[in-house]
Amino acid sequence: MTRCLALCLLATLPLLAQPAKFDAAAVERGRTQFKSSCGFCHGDDATGNRAPDLLRATSLSHDTDGDTLGPIIRNGRPDQGMPAFNTLSAAQLADMVLFLHKQAYDALHSASVPRDYPLKKLLTGNAAAGKAYFEGAGGCAACHSVTKDLAGIASKYTPLDLQQRMLYPAGPGRRTATVTLPGGKVMEGRLVHADEYEVAITAADGWYRSWPAATVKVEIHDPLAAHKAQMPKYTDADVHNLFAYLVTLK
Amino acid sequence: MKQLLACALLLTLSGAAADKEWPTYNGDFSGRRYSSLSQINQGNVNQLTLAWSAQMRGATVKSTPLVVNGIMYVTTPDNVWALDARTGRTVWHYLRESKGDHIGQRGVGMYKDWLYFETPDCHLISLNAKDGTVRWDVELADPKLGYFATMAPLVVKDHVLVGVSGDVTDIPGFLDSRDPETGKLQWRWFSEPKPGEPGSETWPKGTDAILHGGGMAWITGTYDPESNLTYWGIGNPNPVLNGDGRKGDNLYTCSIVALDVGTGKLKWYFQPSPHDTHDWDAVQTPVLFDDTVNGVRRKFLAQGSRNGYFIVLDRTTGEHILTKPFIYTNWSSGIDSKGVPRPKAEKEPKPDGVLVSPGSDGATNWMAPSYSPDYGLFFLSARRLWSVFYMTTDAGSKPEGWAGRDRNLFAESVLEGIDYKTGDIKWRKELGDGEAVAGILTTAGKLLFTSDNAQNLVALDPATGKTLWHVPVGGAMAASPMTYELDGRQYLLTPIQNVIFAWALPEKPVK
Repeated sequence: MTRCLALCLLATLPLLAQPAKFDAAAVERGRTQFKSSCGFCHGDDATGNRAPDLLRATSLSHDTDGDTLGPIIRNGRPDQGMPAFNTLSAAQLADMVLFLHKQAYDALHSASVPRDYPLKKLLTGNAAAGKAYFEGAGGCAACHSVTKDLAGIASKYTPLDLQQRMLYPAGPGRRTATVTLPGGKVMEGRLVHADEYEVAITAADGWYRSWPAATVKVEIHDPLAAHKAQMPKYTDADVHNLFAYLVTLK
Repeated sequence: MKQLLACALLLTLSGAAADKEWPTYNGDFSGRRYSSLSQINQGNVNQLTLAWSAQMRGATVKSTPLVVNGIMYVTTPDNVWALDARTGRTVWHYLRESKGDHIGQRGVGMYKDWLYFETPDCHLISLNAKDGTVRWDVELADPKLGYFATMAPLVVKDHVLVGVSGDVTDIPGFLDSRDPETGKLQWRWFSEPKPGEPGSETWPKGTDAILHGGGMAWITGTYDPESNLTYWGIGNPNPVLNGDGRKGDNLYTCSIVALDVGTGKLKWYFQPSPHDTHDWDAVQTPVLFDDTVNGVRRKFLAQGSRNGYFIVLDRTTGEHILTKPFIYTNWSSGIDSKGVPRPKAEKEPKPDGVLVSPGSDGATNWMAPSYSPDYGLFFLSARRLWSVFYMTTDAGSKPEGWAGRDRNLFAESVLEGIDYKTGDIKWRKELGDGEAVAGILTTAGKLLFTSDNAQNLVALDPATGKTLWHVPVGGAMAASPMTYELDGRQYLLTPIQNVIFAWALPEKPVK
């Protein structure tokens, strides 16, 4: 399914409608309790072992504050070999139910990379090899300098954003255009729009100007063209080495 | 000869209604989205003018409207409108507010005087086409498990074929055949085989992976009356980006399947993306067309698949004919003897990120393709899309849901005219930065209609991709254009965001 689809889902699915605020202490109490009472069969993380994966269970999907799970835990399911846990206090039961909902919530929200994704997961490359790529095959040094525009770059972005921006920094907003008008006059400016039928720039004087594309000659300058051209040339090792090098630019 | 061939095709592939109408999601059973109407043609398309427009309140129109007996049926999530196809005026409006995912609604199916409509909370509802009153309402799947529904039902004889959506939880996909009179289940085909059945060997043994494997049929399929087979694209497996718990090809996810309409039995399958870990479902319309090759009439099925490969099959037997990439991809180690692009293990998502083309949004997606028998060309909205895929599951824990994500770097869209005989791209037309979402219509007027990413509605020469007409419409077309004829006048219909524009030639011919 699509990115948009997942985002919309996060906003609209009723089972996600509750805010993502779980009492962390209660979840941890529930985790400990679950592990000791249920983990042997359902797995310590409730994803199943000898007994089913509870994160995929209808009983959890339909539960609100223990109204479905509570009776199952207290009474057991003798026909399916599940014993009754009738000595648990109401508070212990509530903590366990909260823990299960937190586990399910996390699975439902696994369609994103967390903003605080840890550097150590990304840092698998070799910085020296990355430096060699930067100065050599990658062609990075043709436009960039580690003592000028990239000085301190690793301190400016989260590790995840740094890796992404290293590969492709931004949208199309940095493009400029040189437009030659029918009389030979040349205008330059930031490119606002260009398609087969029309071109528009913000000229040096700050005014928006547009022309039918067929009436003018247009040269578009894209400073990110080299980033695009590099995509099919990268190996994943190049990407990780280069990233390891940029991480040293603090 | 071409006209004769086109007529023969319409007889075999179109529904009961004449092609002046648009009685089903794709216009006819073939999925070609090719209309034999030619009043609007290359000679006069630059005279197109606005016949009417209609504002549908609320969400973007992503549906393809039906037109039957002068009435148009158009949808958004929770909403069905009947409009006068001559003026756009509302005849009736049905609203059923629901919980569930409201990402889109792709249209209704029709049988006799009845409509069939799927809802965000996974109900299938039959409405009286005369007044929009509810005839019956059945639940297809439990929305609390993560199912929702968007697709336009396909009505074949006395079968209403419906699929559902959902892949943020690990739930099995299926295709239902429902009784048009009662909504009762006639058969259900599950996207995963039962343990022990053929295909189950493509899943790990001794785990619950096969029971939760995903595979939603969320785009309308096609149908061949001669063989009584219906063709569907099946969605991606779950967990979506982490395949460690489901080693194997994971049939019948990311597959094209041929099912007998009467029984729901699988006749053949072809899997464009075995063991998918990039969200590249294979739901894109399986387009049916016939052609005469070396004096022999052949029956084809073609798909531009989300993974970046154009595929042609013999639709009677499932025999593979052609597999060829339509954009640059870097995830496959090669095409095997069965025509299947095999995935490289090193391009599966990893914790430190893997650079892949295309990204999870796909080299193409739900946007309707088109096939024109006049040119032998398959038209496709494609994307050059690069993305970094991260597998976020902690080592040693069981992946659930998506268990990872990719982050897009950039996207460029391009319209392609593909020669089905060779897979060669005869022409490309740049659509602009970003991900195009507009579908395609071709007509016997030798025209191709779609929209670019700069909000221009365009008519192109299908032979070359050259623009013959364009108009900036101030919004995106997130649906597919369609056409119909009423009172002897051909209309081109284009939903633009929440506004429907109906275009036609001037009522009095321009001299």
